[in-house]
Amino acid sequence: MKKFNGVMIGGCMVATLLSSAVYAGVCSKDIKVLAQPRASLTLLEERKAEFEALAGVSFNIDFLNENDRRAKSRAEASTTGRYQVYYIDEANVALFAENEWIVPLTDYYPQAYDFADFDPGRIKVGSYGGKLYFAPIQGGGDFLYYRKDLLAAAGITPPTTLVELKKAVAALHDPANGVYGIALRGGRGSGANVWRWMTYFKGFGGQWFDGDTPVFNSAAAVKATETYLELFKYSPPGTSTGSWTEVTEAFNSGLVAMIIESSPLAGMTEDSKLSKVAGKVGYTIPPSPLTGGGYGHGLAIGAKANQTEQARECAGLFIAWATSKEQEMARLEAGVFGDLNRSSVFDSPEFSAKYNSEIASALQDTAKVTSINYWPNPDWPDLGDRWGIILEELITGSRSDIPEALDELEDYAIKLIARRR
Amino acid sequence: MKFKNNLPVVFLTPPMILLAVLAFVPTIAALVISFQNKELGRTGTQFIGFDNYLDLFSDRRFANAMQVSLEWEAITVIGTMLLAVLVAVLLFETTRGRTRALLCTLLIIPVLLPRVTAAFVWKFMFNPLLGIINYPIRELTGAPIEFLSGLQTALISVAVVDIWQWGLFFGVILLKLLETLPKEPFEAAKLDRVKTWELYAYVAIPMLSAPIISLTFIKMVESLRSFDLIYVMTRGGPGIVTETLDMYAFSQGFVESGRISYASAMAVLMLLATIITFTIIFKWVRKWQNV
Repeated sequence: MKKFNGVMIGGCMVATLLSSAVYAGVCSKDIKVLAQPRASLTLLEERKAEFEALAGVSFNIDFLNENDRRAKSRAEASTTGRYQVYYIDEANVALFAENEWIVPLTDYYPQAYDFADFDPGRIKVGSYGGKLYFAPIQGGGDFLYYRKDLLAAAGITPPTTLVELKKAVAALHDPANGVYGIALRGGRGSGANVWRWMTYFKGFGGQWFDGDTPVFNSAAAVKATETYLELFKYSPPGTSTGSWTEVTEAFNSGLVAMIIESSPLAGMTEDSKLSKVAGKVGYTIPPSPLTGGGYGHGLAIGAKANQTEQARECAGLFIAWATSKEQEMARLEAGVFGDLNRSSVFDSPEFSAKYNSEIASALQDTAKVTSINYWPNPDWPDLGDRWGIILEELITGSRSDIPEALDELEDYAIKLIARRR
Repeated sequence: MKFKNNLPVVFLTPPMILLAVLAFVPTIAALVISFQNKELGRTGTQFIGFDNYLDLFSDRRFANAMQVSLEWEAITVIGTMLLAVLVAVLLFETTRGRTRALLCTLLIIPVLLPRVTAAFVWKFMFNPLLGIINYPIRELTGAPIEFLSGLQTALISVAVVDIWQWGLFFGVILLKLLETLPKEPFEAAKLDRVKTWELYAYVAIPMLSAPIISLTFIKMVESLRSFDLIYVMTRGGPGIVTETLDMYAFSQGFVESGRISYASAMAVLMLLATIITFTIIFKWVRKWQNV
């Protein structure tokens, strides 16, 4: 490993010296980035000197949690637009691109940084209208995470269908002994409870719109909601208004037998400093017919703060450096599994040495069942968040009529489309 | 002499202009925007008359937010004043000298904490799996209480934090006011062998009615600005159970929809409701004091 580190550092130094001559003069002022906390971005801040040597300027990242980052970046980009680089996610690419708050990335991403190396699924969710807008920081699909020890003790094999999942969840649920069958996201948000609910909705054949006509108010949506509510009976306390944090903390604390969650969790689960269940977890694809929730978060070039071509090239250079293979190898070395996006890194011997073959094969398998479950439209965050609140009401029991809830969402969608016209 | 007469005008004009700019410009801007269809993420803004206001009256979340705001005001104001009186009387009866001074200092600490910090600390304490409040409950009953996710408990739980911050602080203020009261009425009442609660209910508290009313007004205004506490602890949930008007307006303006005009219409209605309510209460109190 020491030899690997030496080669890495030496390679980076040579590459930096050569490339700093190439990119000298591209940047004239420090770069401001609006982002949400990610281990890879913290790592970038520790390696700031590398970018300063490359571009002759520095960068500052303002961090806000996911919901606040979404709210602030929309308000900021639509008004003052002071950030050269925005951290955006698959759910708001359409909104940002449609309003020209960001510019297409490929023209400004230096060829030397090999954009084609990114996993194709990540590139797909960062595109809108045939143009590519962000370079991925993280992304992926879903895994079914299961406690090998608990399933073995109960004589249960990892479920491959939803029917099997329901049976296994009921059998493993034993709160008196501190084990809950499953943990689900109940808290509001297009990227929270709706994100997980959509895998059932799409799995049952649901669709969002036919052109401008909403078609989601269907048997598939009713069945998805009923199934989600049924499984919620086995979810730990606190998850009915919780999201990723509450669900993953419950699982990594050893309180949950199985969860279906985004693939980056595997890195945290196998880190014994963060997880009590490291080494006890198995990984496989979500049970049929559930689809995996394809997602991606990445860095995009702001339009207002980068009025000139030179400014856009500078922002593009920062994004290229921040998402380069060298940075991803550094993340791999630091154990930041969730923020790996390049095929060459997944295929590297260092990756195989660091993560078990089960994770690697689950990553390959889950790509086959991963799909885009959300409505790729500028109005998606609005519609998704509205459904998030209604779904939270159903989960927490302040309403119970599912068809009435879907009717309300349909009315809202019709008004949303009318406003857009 | 003329210079002397003009002096108040000279001193008052700059702050009045500043106040006018700070208070009226945003208010007028909100009023104008509320008659438009301005949205973040949509180009082209038109005047649409009272459409936003009419939409509000058929919006179930707006009606719910009105009700939650009223409940929030009632719970936090009454809770704060009751706790304040209780703390003041308890300290006045049971402590003296340095002990009292030390306790007063400790009781002021909660209000000095930034609201967001207090909200995060309490949110963690209420956590059903890891929170300290739930630990004994879980040990005794075998199941935790989901304070912030429960339909019946969420609003009260958030209100507890607000009352904890302000009730203890107001308690110290009332204690200092009790210390300033003349001793004679207390001695006279004791000669008549009144019980302790009667002494405070019929002698001390009525003597402090004016500052208590002022503190109540301060708390009423303060409770209107509950956004940060609710945003951190519940985000208006579960569902819309703790969604107050300011929370819903922010949510519509910046979190969910970017509907700035719709949010402005809510803000204007909230402003009007506050002005009318406070004017009525203020007049009612003045009338009551003059009787």
